[in-house]
Amino acid sequence: MTVQDTTAPDAALGLAGIPHTGEAVTADGHLTEPQAEDFHHARSAPPQVDWYKSAVFYEVLVRAFNDSDGNGTGDLRGLADKLDYLQWLGIDCLWLPPFYASPLRDGGYDISDFRAVLPEFGTVDDFSYLLDQAHKRGIRVITDLVLNHTSDAHPWFQESRQHPDGPYGDYYVWSDTDEAYSDARIIFVDTETSNWTYDPVRGQFYWHRFFSHQPDLNYENPAVQDAMLDVLRFWLDIGIDGFRLDAVPYLFEEEGTNCENLPRTHEFLKRCRKVVDDEFPGRVLLAEANQWPADVVEYFGDASIGGDECHMAFHFPLMPRIFMAVRRESRFPISEILAQTPAIPAGAQWGIFLRNHDELTLEMVTDEERDYMYAEYAKDPRMKANIGIRRRLAPLLDNDRNQQELFTALLLSLPGSPVLYYGDEIGMGDNIWLGDRDAVRTPMQWSPDRNAGFSRCDPGRLYLPAIADPVYGFQAVNVEAHMNNTSSLLHWTRRMLQVRTEHPAFGLGDFTELGSSNPSVLAYLRRHGEDVVICVNNLSRFPQPVELHLSEHDGCIPVELTGGVRFPAIGELPYLLTLPGHGFYWFQITRPLEEGEPQ
Amino acid sequence: MTTRPLPAVTSLAEDLPGWLPGQRWFAAKGQDVASVRVERAALLVDGDPALLHTLLDADGERYQLLLGLTDEVPDHLRAAVIGRLADGSYAYDATHDAELMGGLLELFAEHSAAGGLDWLPEPGVHIQTGLRARPVGVEQSNTSIVFGEHYILKLYRRPAPGPNRDVELHRALVRAGSAQVAEPVAVVRAEGTVLGFAQRYLGDSAEGWATATASVRDLLAEADLHAGEVGGDFAGEAHRLGAAVAAVHADLAAALGVATAGQAEMAAGADGMHARLDAALAQVPALAKREGVLRAAFDAVRELPGTSVQQVHGDLHLGQVLRTTGGWVLIDFEGEPDAPVAERNRTRSALRDVAGMLRSFDYAALHMLAGEEPDHQRLTRAAEWADRNRAAFCAGYATVGTDPRADSVLLRAFELDKAVYEVGYEHRNRPDWVPIPLAAIDRATAAG
Repeated sequence: MTVQDTTAPDAALGLAGIPHTGEAVTADGHLTEPQAEDFHHARSAPPQVDWYKSAVFYEVLVRAFNDSDGNGTGDLRGLADKLDYLQWLGIDCLWLPPFYASPLRDGGYDISDFRAVLPEFGTVDDFSYLLDQAHKRGIRVITDLVLNHTSDAHPWFQESRQHPDGPYGDYYVWSDTDEAYSDARIIFVDTETSNWTYDPVRGQFYWHRFFSHQPDLNYENPAVQDAMLDVLRFWLDIGIDGFRLDAVPYLFEEEGTNCENLPRTHEFLKRCRKVVDDEFPGRVLLAEANQWPADVVEYFGDASIGGDECHMAFHFPLMPRIFMAVRRESRFPISEILAQTPAIPAGAQWGIFLRNHDELTLEMVTDEERDYMYAEYAKDPRMKANIGIRRRLAPLLDNDRNQQELFTALLLSLPGSPVLYYGDEIGMGDNIWLGDRDAVRTPMQWSPDRNAGFSRCDPGRLYLPAIADPVYGFQAVNVEAHMNNTSSLLHWTRRMLQVRTEHPAFGLGDFTELGSSNPSVLAYLRRHGEDVVICVNNLSRFPQPVELHLSEHDGCIPVELTGGVRFPAIGELPYLLTLPGHGFYWFQITRPLEEGEPQ
Repeated sequence: MTTRPLPAVTSLAEDLPGWLPGQRWFAAKGQDVASVRVERAALLVDGDPALLHTLLDADGERYQLLLGLTDEVPDHLRAAVIGRLADGSYAYDATHDAELMGGLLELFAEHSAAGGLDWLPEPGVHIQTGLRARPVGVEQSNTSIVFGEHYILKLYRRPAPGPNRDVELHRALVRAGSAQVAEPVAVVRAEGTVLGFAQRYLGDSAEGWATATASVRDLLAEADLHAGEVGGDFAGEAHRLGAAVAAVHADLAAALGVATAGQAEMAAGADGMHARLDAALAQVPALAKREGVLRAAFDAVRELPGTSVQQVHGDLHLGQVLRTTGGWVLIDFEGEPDAPVAERNRTRSALRDVAGMLRSFDYAALHMLAGEEPDHQRLTRAAEWADRNRAAFCAGYATVGTDPRADSVLLRAFELDKAVYEVGYEHRNRPDWVPIPLAAIDRATAAG
């Protein structure tokens, strides 16, 4: 074959002069790849067993956080410059969506080189610097890794299509027809008509579960498995604290199945876990599998040995139900999904969130509920995207401070490690007039200065305009203003994170819902050893009474956690509390003072 | 302490006439008690305090009472004291005594014969002991004790001899695999009379009335939004509730059979409605101008060829359903509260239950407006809530059973019959509320 493809990924992606995959080709046709020892390594994070079980995560888009070089796009050095802020806020771990080299046709999830950083974000050494500075402050960093597929610009794919008999010929799933695996659903129904696309260069069809520019890797090929394990090792060597594994259910294909959650997919995840456990203990794998909790628990692996696949998995259905419960003023949407959530292995933890860089996903609710959520939260059709709502927390809640606090309190106290989304701590707004999911990806608002203090560039050069409307605009909503006002949402959030850190029950404790006769009040008990915390949430906008049956704690004193106020002792009778509209309480249950105990 | 209970508590008969009428579960409300006789008294737990089981005869009505006997009454039980016995000890209502009540579980666990009663766990149920007991304070006709988060024991205050409908229907439903009832765990009996019935406690539940009225509250706090637009919309729950009620009806039909009521029975049913209307008309003048339309609606039942009848709940309303995390559950299958046993046990149309629930939605919608100056805007919006949720309930019912709206003549007659009863009740007890059933009668008769 003589076709010289025009997609020369390294040149096209600005990687010239930067270490990248395929800089050279060995005599036997292998691409040379950058090695971890070519780069700086970050110092280690302070050792802590099971840190992820009680960590507060913070999702931040490198592009959106802080621009250090004035080109209008956030970058790794810029993010590193803001670590003091994140440390002050009380964040334990950053989650960065992909920052790898990419043609950016799918928000960076179309990776064209697993071992190079997108040039506009910086270099591998810049990442290593960020990691080092984060670790210095006790903050860990994880990032997304897409195991299932690559960009079609990845040199592996370019080699595969051009040299079917070369070392990469079998790296992707090729077929002479487009008929195999017909039971697998098409995920992006808006843009794709088949999971197979014909490649004129190789003269065959290739398999892709997502976009046609994202060919699926062929995990049947042991070389692919080894290559991807080496990708894990590359970043773990540099010092990264873990990965959010994107789209994990789809790694293998098998005729006659829907090609999701196949046993061999789990086998490969066990291999990934083994690399982490044997070579990099203390790092984590977080599964992204947008499925019902009963199915997702499979991704924690064998419960009898505490889990041997992913350490964490996102709990997707909880989030829309929190919104629904508050709108309905009924605890049952939340109670139901938690009751349906199976126990997880000893070494596992859920990740929970209110908002993230994707839309508020409504795949895990019934059609009726989805219609309802659209009607309630996406009054303008542009607020909808795919099967979800593209809005930030504050505008979703009509900028109501009480509700923002209630939602955050729920996020911080329900079982699972909370993931905050950048900007929600200051109540940032969104811009639904931007395309795709960009509504919620606008620049972080640091100050009332030009470009919200995000960048020194000409405003027209920003990757997305900063929010400038009268309610959520950066003139009013910014970190500086919130810092200067101790009653701000930012200060409130920080105090709540401090409280959460002081009580292991939130991260490690078991969860028991405390039923009450009031359907608008959600109350639950978290217990870890001696640390017993009771959380009472009024999901209604009206004041509510609630009687809790706490006689198990007869004689104990509830101490409110944000102010330390001692409430009346618990007795035999139901414990009566009254809550303001959308109010909540966190109590620690403490034993009464003994007589003669110094006070 | 006492070892021969009956003579020991006979002296209490003097204090009981003063004490009984003050109890929530006392049947002849507002009337004095002339004489009380202790029919039966038996020691359940000896010691101080001792626990005594008694059956009383108060002017011909039988009541069940659990007595605590002690020489020194602790402060928290002072309010429960009934009187003093001849030996100087105090007798009090033992359902307030958590410790004495906690001991009942042991009697069940041991299959005890204490007090000459049979303490019988249901087959295959192992009763856990050592749980904290607490009385539930809100019931009308019985007294219930909750044990830990596990069981709830309903003590029938006026136990009737013979098979107990509540127990029998629960058993039949559980045998049929129903997920819409709380599982029975034990009964306590004396000879042929069921005295108490323990079930799995649904600690995570909220009452249907509280859940529905939360939604109404939410609606009325808005100035102009429609019932389907406000956040607290209840239609989804009403739909699920309809399906749950239909499932219970289907299970009862499968377990206990279905019969057909012919024209004669329909006519008898209509006669009953007319008779209840006669009684209400005598009391409430406002009904007079509606008499014609009501009688026409009842007479229409005579024209029906017949309908299927079966065991039903018998007293279904939003206060008899619990929302649990697993869905809706129906409770209290005792049947119509004031009807004689034979009447309660009769088979009837499942539409009776549906009508009861539809009336309850109306009450939930309008309860906040009772006693207010009539406000057309608020009334209209509350009625819209009722219509929306009544329709959702019927639609949910139709996903499991036949759409109740298909049988409109009978359903309307049942609803109106119920509304007539409500008019009488409200007239006697809550005059401010009379407009609620009156308006329902006007709406139903204007429409059809």
